Amino acid sequence: MTDADHFDKLKQAIIDQDEDEVLDAVNAALADGIGAKTVIDQGLLPGLNVIGEQFEDEEIFLPELMQAALAFQAAMTILEPKIKEEGTAGEKKGVVVLGTVKGDLHSIGKNILKLLYETSGFEAYDLGIDVDLFSFINKAKEVDADIIAISALLTTTLVGQRDVIDALKDAGERDKYKVLVGGGATTKEWAESIGADGWAATAYEAVTLSTSLVS
Amino acid sequence: MRFTEFLTEAEVRRTHEASLEVLETVGVLAHFAPAREVFRRHGCTVDDETGLVRFPAAVVERYRKMAPPSFTFRGRDPQFDRTIPDDGPIVVTGSSAPNVVDPVTGVERRATSADIANIAHLINELPGFDVFSISTLADDAPEGQFSLSRFYPALKNCLKPVRSNTPNMDDLHQVVELGQIIAGGAEAYAERPIINHHYCPMVSPLTMDVDSTEAVMWLTEQGLPVYTTVVPNAGLTSPMTLMGTLVVGNAEFLAITVFQQMVKEGTPIIYASLPTVADMRTGAYAPGAIETGVLLAAQAQMARFYGVPSGGYIGLTNAHSNDAQAGFETGMNTLLGVAAGATLLNMGGLFSSLMAFDFGKAVVDNEIALMDKRAYRGLEFSEENLALEEIAAVGPGGSYMGRNHTKARMKTTAVLPRLANRDMRAQWEEAGRPSIHERAMDEARRILAQPNGAVWDAALDTAIRQRFPGLVAGDAKPLEG
Repeated sequence: MTDADHFDKLKQAIIDQDEDEVLDAVNAALADGIGAKTVIDQGLLPGLNVIGEQFEDEEIFLPELMQAALAFQAAMTILEPKIKEEGTAGEKKGVVVLGTVKGDLHSIGKNILKLLYETSGFEAYDLGIDVDLFSFINKAKEVDADIIAISALLTTTLVGQRDVIDALKDAGERDKYKVLVGGGATTKEWAESIGADGWAATAYEAVTLSTSLVS
Repeated sequence: MRFTEFLTEAEVRRTHEASLEVLETVGVLAHFAPAREVFRRHGCTVDDETGLVRFPAAVVERYRKMAPPSFTFRGRDPQFDRTIPDDGPIVVTGSSAPNVVDPVTGVERRATSADIANIAHLINELPGFDVFSISTLADDAPEGQFSLSRFYPALKNCLKPVRSNTPNMDDLHQVVELGQIIAGGAEAYAERPIINHHYCPMVSPLTMDVDSTEAVMWLTEQGLPVYTTVVPNAGLTSPMTLMGTLVVGNAEFLAITVFQQMVKEGTPIIYASLPTVADMRTGAYAPGAIETGVLLAAQAQMARFYGVPSGGYIGLTNAHSNDAQAGFETGMNTLLGVAAGATLLNMGGLFSSLMAFDFGKAVVDNEIALMDKRAYRGLEFSEENLALEEIAAVGPGGSYMGRNHTKARMKTTAVLPRLANRDMRAQWEEAGRPSIHERAMDEARRILAQPNGAVWDAALDTAIRQRFPGLVAGDAKPLEG
């Protein structure tokens, strides 16, 4: 099989949203001596690009996008150690700290966002749910984050997003990070009123927005 | 599924007995002499001077039991054939409006055969519709081709079953001949009659007309598909109680059903109606009022008692635009009918109490129809659908989003509307705050911009046009402007 055949197979396996097919294709490519970084860049990522376009065109639905991303994530458990061995790790798009705001236990949208960040070349640190404002700020400092992304589903917990921004201002560190807010309780107007750098209606849009903010 | 029922079993029986009493003691005026002959020959008492026919209860009981439990609509393409109640609820367009809201200017005007061609193409493509009842008249019909100018563009542009009526026997014979040419001959047509005839021979209260009765009698004799609708209007042509209106309509249904069985035993029928309560403030006709839904629901219950399929004109509206009134009148009434087990819904595309067809309304009604059909499916109870393994696999705090179980069912468990807006407000505002009517018209334009694969081949068209010279063009065209 030529390298081009391997790339086609890798790409198609992602488009098929089939984890087993993806893992088989990855192992076959590695066995034929293709580098882990090349497997990602020329096989899996082109597949994810197609998935992204299909999702935007409503050809596929959110569960299918999720399965493609989960298949990619499974492939990464094989590929990441190889990349370290190869010393071929490329530039990350950016570093993101994300979590659900204090008092709010909703995680599904935030988890989808994390998955999409990772499959789009971001380094994502997920602080989970019910995250207080200092955890956001301390983690961002620790990993030298580009973006802090804060989710809120409950209208009663919305103010927690503003609290993070205000605390960053008080500490004189507001300009160090781009702060994105999202989640079912938020609106674009809310994001503007609290001085956030961006707002997105969906996880997919949030990643697109993040990419433009860090480039 | 258990249907919504307003009446107890005893009340259903009493309603039936009351209807028998009306037929025996009050009787029915039959204006068509051959129909009176049919009644006389089969045991009814007929007064030829007045035209009054009285029905002994035993005669009604004997013949109404001959009506079969199902009715089949056939289309040019057999994959679109629909039988009720098993394939129900089936959704039919509203019919025979004189006017159309011009899809480009938005101004109401007389409808033409070109409109019928476009509507036929639209209904052929909209998945919520099962039967195309020809929505409008054709103001451009050449002399002597009043009905041909409706059936030709309708049949040419739609593979689904086409349904309509004719005003006289000459037109009826022409239309059946058109069907025979399309089918490839009289014999083939007798096998698969693709024109589904509908008439209202019962004129409330308790009267049978001449022209429609003659058409129903001839079609029944020929074994061609025909069903009828009874149309009581409380306060004008039936009593100002829903029960009194149910009884009048039920007696009329029994009279016409018995008539068809007397003409030919075992003729398939539908218990179809358009029951209304007139608005007594002005006498206005109110087919979108909620009482129509209540009456149709009760009628569905009576139809189950008789073992025949049921439905009718339900979900019409008095509204003149795609506004909230148009939505709630169509939505509430059709849902009531569906919940009660009515499996024929004559609901699509008309404004202004059947006066005008609107392309946007037809597209909105398609979406309402899909919701009605989903409601009729109910909860689909099964051990498998309890999804216990899946609940255990995901566990507390997990997500069902990326699961194969979800993926396999995400397109069938819920209706995925094309028009109902589920964006957040900001997205909707960014899109220019599109109204439901604008979105519906976009969809109509999208569909009509595509070539119509339903159109028959040139050889057949030539054969039809040779037999009926001067026929309208009957071609669907993209909406301009």
